[in-house]
Amino acid sequence: MFEVPVFDDLNAWAALPIILLALGTSILLVADLFIPEDRKRLTASLALGGVTVSLVVAMLQALGVEIGEQGAAFADMFIADQFTYVVNVIALSSAFIGILVSYDYFERAEVKRGEYYSLLLFSTMGAMLMGASRNLVMIFVALELLSIPLYLLSAFRKPIAASEESALKYFLLGAFSSGFLVYGITLLYGATGTFDIDGIWTAAVEIIDGEISRQFTLIAGFGLVIVGLGFKVGAVPFHGWQPDVYQGAPTPVTAFMSVTAKTGGFAAMLRVLVAGIPVVVAEDIAMWQDTIQVIALLTLVLGNFVAIMQDELKRMLAYSSIAHAGYLLIAVAAGGTEGIGDQAAQSALIYLLAYTFTNIGAFAVVVAMEHVDYSGTKLNDLKGLSNTNPMLAAVMALFMFSLTGIPGTAGFVGKWFVFKAAIDADLVLLAVVGVLTSVVSAFYYLRVVVNMYMEPGTPETQPETPSLRWALGITAAGTLILGILPYFMTELAEGVTVALIR
Amino acid sequence: MELTWELVAFLGFAVMTLGSGLMVVTSSNLFHSVLFLMTSLFGVAGLFVLLVAPFLAAIQVLVYIGAIAVLMLFVIMLTRQVMSRPELYNQQMAGALVAAAILFLALLFVLTPLADEIGGDVAQVNAEVIAEADDAPDVDYITVEELGRAFVTRNGFVLPFEVTSILLTAAMIGAIVVAREDEA
Repeated sequence: MFEVPVFDDLNAWAALPIILLALGTSILLVADLFIPEDRKRLTASLALGGVTVSLVVAMLQALGVEIGEQGAAFADMFIADQFTYVVNVIALSSAFIGILVSYDYFERAEVKRGEYYSLLLFSTMGAMLMGASRNLVMIFVALELLSIPLYLLSAFRKPIAASEESALKYFLLGAFSSGFLVYGITLLYGATGTFDIDGIWTAAVEIIDGEISRQFTLIAGFGLVIVGLGFKVGAVPFHGWQPDVYQGAPTPVTAFMSVTAKTGGFAAMLRVLVAGIPVVVAEDIAMWQDTIQVIALLTLVLGNFVAIMQDELKRMLAYSSIAHAGYLLIAVAAGGTEGIGDQAAQSALIYLLAYTFTNIGAFAVVVAMEHVDYSGTKLNDLKGLSNTNPMLAAVMALFMFSLTGIPGTAGFVGKWFVFKAAIDADLVLLAVVGVLTSVVSAFYYLRVVVNMYMEPGTPETQPETPSLRWALGITAAGTLILGILPYFMTELAEGVTVALIR
Repeated sequence: MELTWELVAFLGFAVMTLGSGLMVVTSSNLFHSVLFLMTSLFGVAGLFVLLVAPFLAAIQVLVYIGAIAVLMLFVIMLTRQVMSRPELYNQQMAGALVAAAILFLALLFVLTPLADEIGGDVAQVNAEVIAEADDAPDVDYITVEELGRAFVTRNGFVLPFEVTSILLTAAMIGAIVVAREDEA
């Protein structure tokens, strides 16, 4: 018969942050039943508490405290290494700030549903698991756990058509892209006979010298997996959903998903693609590196140029988010060169951490501006903000500088590491295009600053409540501190490897 | 080729699958199309049985015929306009034929050699096992029990299994939240 597995022989302690979060979310779900509608602040606080516990454990792990052994867990389904730990920290930070941003917004909109916080935490779990999967089945399940709550969160302003439309669009296209991913996984299994990422690459070495039909299956499999993950991170040409969904979803949800979906998607992409580099000989890797390079170029150019034409803040940030996926794709592409894999993964994680604080911060400012009926987020509505609300204008300017990548902000550090990885990987063209498009992006980011400081006007802002103030404070401090003292990020990223240890 | 009962059954199920598949796209009544689709799916289930995959066959019947096709019938019956269309909805027969031909060629030249390459030996072995098993009833194929075991043993899919249960919980909660009328 079989023995009941226990915590220790699954090495489950290594997954403690996720387990704690799952436990906390389950408790939250039940506790929320007993919390009356006019006291939903308590649900939000409980959710914050749960995230904090999990975040503390994740931080300890990332800083080198041994909680559970590093290595494989859950029968090779899960892998606990520095990469996993840092992804955990990023995902949990975005959940923490995401909850802070959400509370006032939904209070103002009179949406009193405690399930919101549970769904947000479920989604966070999905992102964490995506970074920790070493098995394609796990990646698929984790992707769904990340996405399905996001579809639902987009619909939380239900009677408003834009919110419903955004949820439906996201759901239909998301389901479609999941289909691509599953098809790709099936083909990879057909070609290699395993779901294990390491095993697939080991088998790939044989296949590359073998029969042509098997090569087709392998290439088609990887191609479809790239499509599925590319959709999730919003890379061109799979970005079509992003502007509409970002604009229609409730702003705090947009803030959260713009960061969390990227974290999960890129973590999985690095695991699937870059982890194989030590296994496979260099020249055959070019197969996917070229593909990712083309996608990165398209994403950078389209994202940045179309963002110029937007006159709505949320929509502009949606295109800016596409552009930032492009910068992250540069890091992924750099990982395709032999010997650069680890450096590329480190740069991508640094970028993601910087982006988390900056982007949620920018959306938090939008929350502070937005009226209950979704209006008040045109670029023109920002005119004169520095007179009516100087603090808000100042932090918004900081976020815009960071998104542009101006030195002294977190965004600069992220871009610097990514471009450095690209140059070390001999992808000079990609690095040059990255720098040039950053210059282009200055145009639309700085226009926001110009509107706030140099144009006359008296925009209305929402009364700021403590939790939104905290969110703005944390994100602004994060953007500044990580920008001036990048050691914290490099310290965390130190020791990140993508190779899959057993 | 020897005419065994397996061959006869295979031909029967193949005709059933393909024939009703053709009827799905050529029938002008959408309701009939779905009924043919069910027949076609049943044929596929039969093919699974012939491939010694009884679990897959059962799932095919339960999920595709039992759930999905019946759901389609509900949707069609709820939308009257679709029911009463006199002629074929789809007018792109030529394009469909080209697409089908391309897909057929792709399957023929990519997947068939692949199946020979990685599945050929397995089929051989299986055939021998089955041939020998005529008097020994316990043929070694994947049973429901083994699948269940794979979900819970420590060397199996215990983590995806658990995560899936979280996922289903999240989806269920979300569905209720989205579908619920506001009391206010």
